[in-house]
Amino acid sequence: MAAAEKSTKEKLLSTLDDIEVLSRELIEMLALSRSQKLPQSGEDTQILELLVQRDKEFQELMQTAMEQGRVHQEMQTLEKEVEKRDSDIQQLQKQLKEAEHILATAVYQAKEKLKSIEKARKGSISSEEIIKYAHRISASNAVCAPLNWVPGDPRRPYPTDLEMRSGMLGNISNMSTNGVNGHLPGDALAAGRLPDVLTPQYPWQSTDVSMGILPPHHGNDFGLEPPGHNKENEDDVEAMSTDSSSSSSDSD
Amino acid sequence: MAGVMETEEQARNRFQLELEFVQCLANPNYLNFLAQRGYLREKPFVNYLKYLLYWKEPEYAKFLKYPHCLHMLELLQYEHFRKELVNAQCAKFIDEQQILHWQHYSRKRTRLQQALAEQQQQQQPQAPSHGNTTSK
Repeated sequence: MAAAEKSTKEKLLSTLDDIEVLSRELIEMLALSRSQKLPQSGEDTQILELLVQRDKEFQELMQTAMEQGRVHQEMQTLEKEVEKRDSDIQQLQKQLKEAEHILATAVYQAKEKLKSIEKARKGSISSEEIIKYAHRISASNAVCAPLNWVPGDPRRPYPTDLEMRSGMLGNISNMSTNGVNGHLPGDALAAGRLPDVLTPQYPWQSTDVSMGILPPHHGNDFGLEPPGHNKENEDDVEAMSTDSSSSSSDSD
Repeated sequence: MAGVMETEEQARNRFQLELEFVQCLANPNYLNFLAQRGYLREKPFVNYLKYLLYWKEPEYAKFLKYPHCLHMLELLQYEHFRKELVNAQCAKFIDEQQILHWQHYSRKRTRLQQALAEQQQQQQPQAPSHGNTTSK
């Protein structure tokens, strides 16, 4: 309803007031005319007409009011419907969110699973190879000491001075002359004392398996040759045997 | 060090040299030797040690005869370890511990396996008991 117009209620009430006033006047006139016996034909007809008019207005206004009431009721029903639909939508929204959450978790877990599968696949090695390798490192006592080992035994879980010197690293300077025998010229002592177990070409140095494998490429220059690659190697290695406290140094 | 282009033979030689060198790292006395001569302080050498980590990959690791070297290599990545190696006492301690571990390894493993077997045995009697209830 526009603010400028009077509301139906106000109109009704003002009409009622008019009717009240008019009917009061009519009654007064009637009462007056009865006592005075004066013809007031013009006025009473007027008032009657006005009364009838007001009554008609009143009836119309009542009709309007009823319409408005009905419309209002409809509006309320519709509002209730809207509320119901709203709550339905919210419910669906909640469920959708839940579903999304569950799916997201499932997808995440599936991805994790795939990652771990990939990782496992990458690291898969044939059991035969593993057994072969385990045999290799155990048989040479590299991982576990021989059962008859006592302190004083020269064997170690790492390459000893001797083994280091007789390898490729120890003989870089004279690699061209390095045939089968890896002993340095000044190593006559060691040469005579070699137990049969230690053959000149130690298996830890050579690629006794297939030669197909190459070291990874490194394009950048490290800037320094690792020790052992220089000519001074022999002196350094000699000095090392005095540094080491192992009992493997054959000094006598 | 080999340049960008190297022949296959050079690569093979480099492979053998690096194989030998990385295994030398299993020797604590050699590590002490390197530390005392200052090699472990030089950045190119440290980079080289990082590069040598490729020996941890299975296709390369299968050539290692002395697997202790991999553990030493991992430790060498830490500057603190490299600094400590200058002391001869430190190297001696590592050497002793390494040898002790090496000595008692088989015994430790059998003990571990026994413990595992006992654990499994403890769990297993619970399973057959479900079947026993039907006979009672």
